[in-house]
Amino acid sequence: MQEPQPIKESLLRQTQRTERSTSAGLVRTQGMGSDQLDQRSDGWVVWGSIGLFFLLSLLPWRLLPMAPDLLMVVLAFWAVHEPRRVGMLTGFVLGLLLDVHDAGPLGQYALTYVLACYGAVILHRRLLRFNLWRQALHMMPVLLTARVVAVALTAWVSGIWPGWSWLVGMLLTCIMWVPIGWVLLLPGNRLESMSAATE
Amino acid sequence: MATQVDLELFRRRVPAQVKLVLLALLACLLLVVDAHTRYLDPVRQGVSVLLYPLQRVVMLPRDAVALAQDYSNAAQLLREESEALQRQRIELAQVVSNAAQLVTENRQLRRLLGVVDDKAAVETVVVEVLYEPATDYRRRLVFNKGTNAGIEPGMPVIDEGGIVGQIIRATPFSAEAAMLTDEQLAVPVQLLRNGLRLIAFGSAVPGKIEVRYFASDADIRAGDVLVTSGIGGGFPAGLSVATVETVERDAASGFARALAQPSSHPERYRHFLVLKTMAAGSDRQAADAGAPANQGEPLAPNAAN
Repeated sequence: MQEPQPIKESLLRQTQRTERSTSAGLVRTQGMGSDQLDQRSDGWVVWGSIGLFFLLSLLPWRLLPMAPDLLMVVLAFWAVHEPRRVGMLTGFVLGLLLDVHDAGPLGQYALTYVLACYGAVILHRRLLRFNLWRQALHMMPVLLTARVVAVALTAWVSGIWPGWSWLVGMLLTCIMWVPIGWVLLLPGNRLESMSAATE
Repeated sequence: MATQVDLELFRRRVPAQVKLVLLALLACLLLVVDAHTRYLDPVRQGVSVLLYPLQRVVMLPRDAVALAQDYSNAAQLLREESEALQRQRIELAQVVSNAAQLVTENRQLRRLLGVVDDKAAVETVVVEVLYEPATDYRRRLVFNKGTNAGIEPGMPVIDEGGIVGQIIRATPFSAEAAMLTDEQLAVPVQLLRNGLRLIAFGSAVPGKIEVRYFASDADIRAGDVLVTSGIGGGFPAGLSVATVETVERDAASGFARALAQPSSHPERYRHFLVLKTMAAGSDRQAADAGAPANQGEPLAPNAAN
């Protein structure tokens, strides 16, 4: 009476194993395995952080000369890590909101963020293999180009040159990629897999 | 199983390049249209009405701190303020008696000259600074009241020192003012000493205003006080504007320019007064200041530069 049970159990285990292997095979058919290219962050973290940094951008600290553009970092960061959720359209809408808040030339930040998000979306496959410092280094030309194009175009259209302090601010912006990215990747344990991949 | 399996072989999405071109073109179009016309003002108004609650929420901590400070310093502040007011009262008593005499004399002279005296008391609104926009291009302030309080574009903003700026845009709940130092603002002024009529512009030098387009041999020198001339109708006559600091005369071009220090202090206080000149004034004034053609500088039709 007691014999059939272990057989049943082993059978069960076997079927479970095969199930697992087939599902793993299915995942593999996507091209990349379960490394960080396939990892996703919680939607709450993504949109919550974007909303939070947008609200922070409404505060007067941006009046300081050489203030970094933290919203740009967060947008570009999620465009790299969550390109299916955050992209150029998000950048455009938030940029437009910021333009209205700043009472500045309408479309300036919209253009900046669209260009930055485009660079991030284009580069995201390569960047995900790097650690945060290398990502920051790779994103530096992208973010700089986006800002330079927007500033130059605005200066051309409105006839006013805003000085050079924004350029230093952009360098700070690129450096802020590392601490902000570190914090943003904390919730989903994505940091560990990233360091494992780079080591 | 928990693993999300996405079996989509070909992603049916708009290519990134197409998106980029569309959105970047749209942004450039916005930039150009906004710089040269006023067609986008309704867009701005709509978006800023949406943004207003967010701005207030974000500013709540600051307002709370200010409130707490006001409470804790109330006694000290009141004492200082009452001292200052006492001093002012004594100083003003002399001026007032002098002014009363001048008013009667002036009225008599105007009657003699046949000038109609249509100066009416202007209604005012007290506004508080909501925030200072962080833009490198313009010197602006955003106030916490808008068209709901009767504020309209073109109205002058003053503090106890004189003209601070002019309302440029107004939404139902907020109003944006260009400060005197904003390069887009122009104010018709007059020298108090000899009545010379000039136009004052914002300047590239931070915190200063510039007087341009006058002959290099004009009688103007450092220390001269500029007041509004009232020409154009946007600003009432006689409001203090600035004190001339330096005059540069360029004999080659035949023109001169002067730098002046504004007499108001928009950076010091939170509360300002908006003069409702449009509501009280004649139709002609409203038509002058609200003309859509001269965007940003409703008072300088001849400021083509």
